[in-house]
Amino acid sequence: MIKKFFSYRMPQNLIFLIDILALLLLYFYKDGFDQFILVSGILLTFIIYISNFMLLKTSSGDHYIFLIMTMLVSIGIIMIYRIDPMFGFRQITWFGVGIATFFLFYTVIKNIQGWENFIKLYVGLSLILFLSTLVFGAKIKGATNWIKIGGFTFQPAEIIKILFVFFLAAYYSSKEKIGNTYIFLGIVYSYIGFLFIQRDLGTAMIFYFVFMTIFYIFEEDRKLIYYNIAGAVVIGVLSYFLVSHVKVRVITWIDPWSYMDTKGYQITQSLFAIASGGFFGTGIGLGHPEFIPEVHTDFIFSAICEEMGIFGGIGVIMLFFILVYRGFKIALGQHHQFFKIIALGMTTMLGFQAFIIIGGVIKMIPLTGVTLPFVSYGGSSLVSSFAALGILQVASEEVEFEEEEQNG
Amino acid sequence: MDKTSKRMIKVLIAFSTLFISLMVYLSYFEIFQSSKIVNNNYNKRQWINEEYVLRGIIADRNGKTLTYSEKKENGQVRYYPFKEVYSHIIGYSFKEYGKAGLESSYNKELLHIKENPIQEITEKIIGPKEKGNNLILAIDHEIQSYAEEKLRGKKGAIVLLNPKNGEIYAMVSKPDFDPSTIKKQWNEIIEDKNSPLLNRATMGLYAPGSIFKTITATAALENKDVEKTFDCKGSINIDGYILKDYKGVAHGKLDMKRALEVSCNVFFSQIGLKLGEEKLRNTAENYMFNKHVPFDLQVKKSIFPKINMTRPELGASAIGQGKILVTPLNMAMVAGAIANDGEMMKPILVKEVIDPKGRTIKMNHSQVLSKTSSKVVAEEIKTMMISVVEKGSGKNARIKNIKVAGKTGTAENQTEKEHGWFIGFAPANDPKVAIAVVLENIGITGGKSAAPIARDVMATALNRLR
Repeated sequence: MIKKFFSYRMPQNLIFLIDILALLLLYFYKDGFDQFILVSGILLTFIIYISNFMLLKTSSGDHYIFLIMTMLVSIGIIMIYRIDPMFGFRQITWFGVGIATFFLFYTVIKNIQGWENFIKLYVGLSLILFLSTLVFGAKIKGATNWIKIGGFTFQPAEIIKILFVFFLAAYYSSKEKIGNTYIFLGIVYSYIGFLFIQRDLGTAMIFYFVFMTIFYIFEEDRKLIYYNIAGAVVIGVLSYFLVSHVKVRVITWIDPWSYMDTKGYQITQSLFAIASGGFFGTGIGLGHPEFIPEVHTDFIFSAICEEMGIFGGIGVIMLFFILVYRGFKIALGQHHQFFKIIALGMTTMLGFQAFIIIGGVIKMIPLTGVTLPFVSYGGSSLVSSFAALGILQVASEEVEFEEEEQNG
Repeated sequence: MDKTSKRMIKVLIAFSTLFISLMVYLSYFEIFQSSKIVNNNYNKRQWINEEYVLRGIIADRNGKTLTYSEKKENGQVRYYPFKEVYSHIIGYSFKEYGKAGLESSYNKELLHIKENPIQEITEKIIGPKEKGNNLILAIDHEIQSYAEEKLRGKKGAIVLLNPKNGEIYAMVSKPDFDPSTIKKQWNEIIEDKNSPLLNRATMGLYAPGSIFKTITATAALENKDVEKTFDCKGSINIDGYILKDYKGVAHGKLDMKRALEVSCNVFFSQIGLKLGEEKLRNTAENYMFNKHVPFDLQVKKSIFPKINMTRPELGASAIGQGKILVTPLNMAMVAGAIANDGEMMKPILVKEVIDPKGRTIKMNHSQVLSKTSSKVVAEEIKTMMISVVEKGSGKNARIKNIKVAGKTGTAENQTEKEHGWFIGFAPANDPKVAIAVVLENIGITGGKSAAPIARDVMATALNRLR
C-alpha cells in the first residue's frame, strides 16, 4: 500500500510530480515568500490526489478520462496562476467545486434510472433557461449570455449544453415521446437560433456539431442529413452577408494584420505570443502572455504555447485527442442505447469545444469565443465540463437495464 | 460490426483528422510564419528589452560612430548625427512609428535578444547586460557622405561596392528623410508622393535601358554560334513593330564592341532575337534576376518576365526595355560580376556584430553568389566596356590616369522623362570599386547625367581606399 503510494507507475503520482515542480517554479519566480502559492499548492495536490483515489475505489469504469482531465486542469491552473495569482487561487477553488460536481453527477446519474423518459423535462428546462437569459441577460464581451444572481454570474448555456445532449439521447433511445422528426429538428434549430440571437457563435457551432454527429450516426432517414448540411452551409453563407459580427470574424480570420489596432487586435496578439514561444517556449514566467486580452479565458492556449512552447501546445491537443478517443471507446462498448448516445454527446461536446477554440486562437479557423474545457479560467465552464465528465464516467460503466426495458 | 458502430468509427476518424490538422498547422505556423510575425512592430515583446538595454552602436568600417543611444532620466534617446546620409541604411527606431532599415533587421542583435533560451536564463541569473551589441558596417563614411552630397536634390540611387568581396562602401537613395526629426515630420513624410521612406537602392524597380546590353552581350558571347555582326540602318522592323536607334542614327556595319560603344539598339535587339528568350533569360537569372538576393535589408527581385514573349517584346527586352525591371543594387552587382571575372559576390552591408566588450559575435563572410560567365567572356565584356568610356557614350566617366569600364543607359518608362543610368568599375585592370547610378526621370541621357556622378564618386572612393 505504502509502496504503491510512491510508485511512479501510478499515473496520478506523475501528475503530482509535475504540479510540485511547476509550483516550485512559480514560487521562485515571484519575489519574496508567497504564502498564497504554498496554500494553493497544497490544496491543489490534495484535491488531485484524493479525488483520483476516490474514483479508483468507487468506479468500475474508465480511469483514464479522469486522469487526462486532472492533467489538463493542472496545466490550466499553473498557467492562470502565473498570469494572475488571484485568478489562480480562485480557479483552484472552482476545481474543488468541480470535483464535487463530478461526484454528485456521477452518483445521481448512476443511481436514478429511466433518464431516457424525461425528454419533455429537458426541453422545458432549456427553454426556461434560454428565456431567462433573454430577459435577465447581462452583456459581457459582446455576447448577451450571462445571468447575474446577486454578485454571482453564470452562463446558462453551460447548463443547456448538458440538457441538450440528454435531449438528443432521449430522442434516439425512445422515439415515441416526440413522434415526428420535423418537430425534433425544429427544437434543435431553435436551440441554435437562441444562441445565435445571444451572439454566442462558438456555442452555437458546438451545438450544431454535436447534433450533426448524433444525427449522422443514429438517423435512419439518410437524405435528411444531407439536407441539414446543405441548409447549414446556406445559413452560414447568408449570415456572412447579413450578420455583421459573423462577417467581422471571417474578415479578421482571413487577414487580421490589416486590422491590428481594432478588430484584429486579439488574434494578432495571440499569434505574436505563439510565434514568440518557438518549439520549446520561453519557460513559465519568462514570456509575456499578459499582452493578450482575455488571456486567462479564451486565449489560455496561446499563453501555454508561448511559455511551454509549441510542444506544450501539442501536448494539450494530444490530451484532448486521447480524451476523445477514450470517449468513443466508451460509447462503442456501451450497450445501453441512451448512455451510448450520452457518451458520444459529452465526448463530442468537449472535443469540438477544444477544437474550435484552439483552431481559433492559432488562426486555423475563424475565432469564436469559447473556453478551452478544463484549462480556461471560469466557474460555469469548469463546473459544466466536470458535470459532463461525471456523466461520461457513468456511461463508461456497465449500466443496469430497467426491468421493463426491451433490448435497447 | 453493426451500422451504428461503423458510423461511430467514421466520426472518430473525422475527429482524429481535426486534431491532427491542429498539430500540423501549429508546426507549420512555427516553422514558416513565426519568424516574420515575431518581428512585427505591433509585437510589444520587441520593445520590452528596450527599457533596460542600451541599444547598440552602429559604426562604419573604420569605427566611426553613426548612431548611438544615451541614457536619460526616463528611458533612452537614440541619436542620428548624420541625419539624411544614412536614412535608408540605418533607418529609424521609434515606438510610435516602428522600425526601418538596419534598426529593424538587426533589432535582435542591437538589443542582444537571445535565440537560445538556456543562454537567456543564464544571463537572467548572472544579471542582465545593460548594453546591446554593436554593428560594424562595410560602409565608408567619407565615401557615403560624398555620394550623398552628389545625389542631393535629385531623385535616384547610388550603390558602390567592392567587386571582389561584395562589401558595400556606399549606398544612397534620394529623396530621403532625417531620422532625427522624423517624429515631427511623420505625416508630411508618409504623404509625400515622392515616397522618401522607400529605399530606392534595394526596393526601387527601374527599366534598365541600355545597361542591360552588358547582359545580352554575356548571353551572346557564352553562345558561340550566335552571329555577331550586323548592318544597322538606324531602325528595324520586327513583325510590324519599329525599333529605332537613339535619334534614328544609322551605325552601318558593326561588331559587338563598336555596337556597345555606340549603344546600338538595332544590333542588340537582333542578337536577342537570334539568342531566343530562354537563353537570354538564363543569363539574366545567372545575374540574379527573378531571384532573391540575400541581404541585410529588404530587397526586391529584379524582373525578367516569365512569359512567352512575342518577337517585338523579345527585341525590346534585349535592349533593356519592355517589361524588364531592375534594382540599382542588382545592377551594381552586375558591374561587379563582370569586374570580378564572372563571379558575382554576395553583397555585404553589415560586416560584423560585436558585443559591448568587443568580441565578435557574428561575421558576414564573403561568398560567391552566382557564376555569371566564364573568365574569358567577362574579360571580353570588360574590354568593350573600357572602350565605351574611352570612345563611346560613357566619355564623361573618364578619370585621369585611371582606366574606367562602364556602360550608360537611358531608359524609357511610363513617364515622358527617361531614367539616366551608369554602371561601371575602376580601375579596369584591377577593379577596386563597382558602381551603379540611376537618376529617376532625369530626362537626359545616362552618359550626360549619371556618368559624371559615377566618375566623381569612383574617383573619391579610389582616392580614399588607396
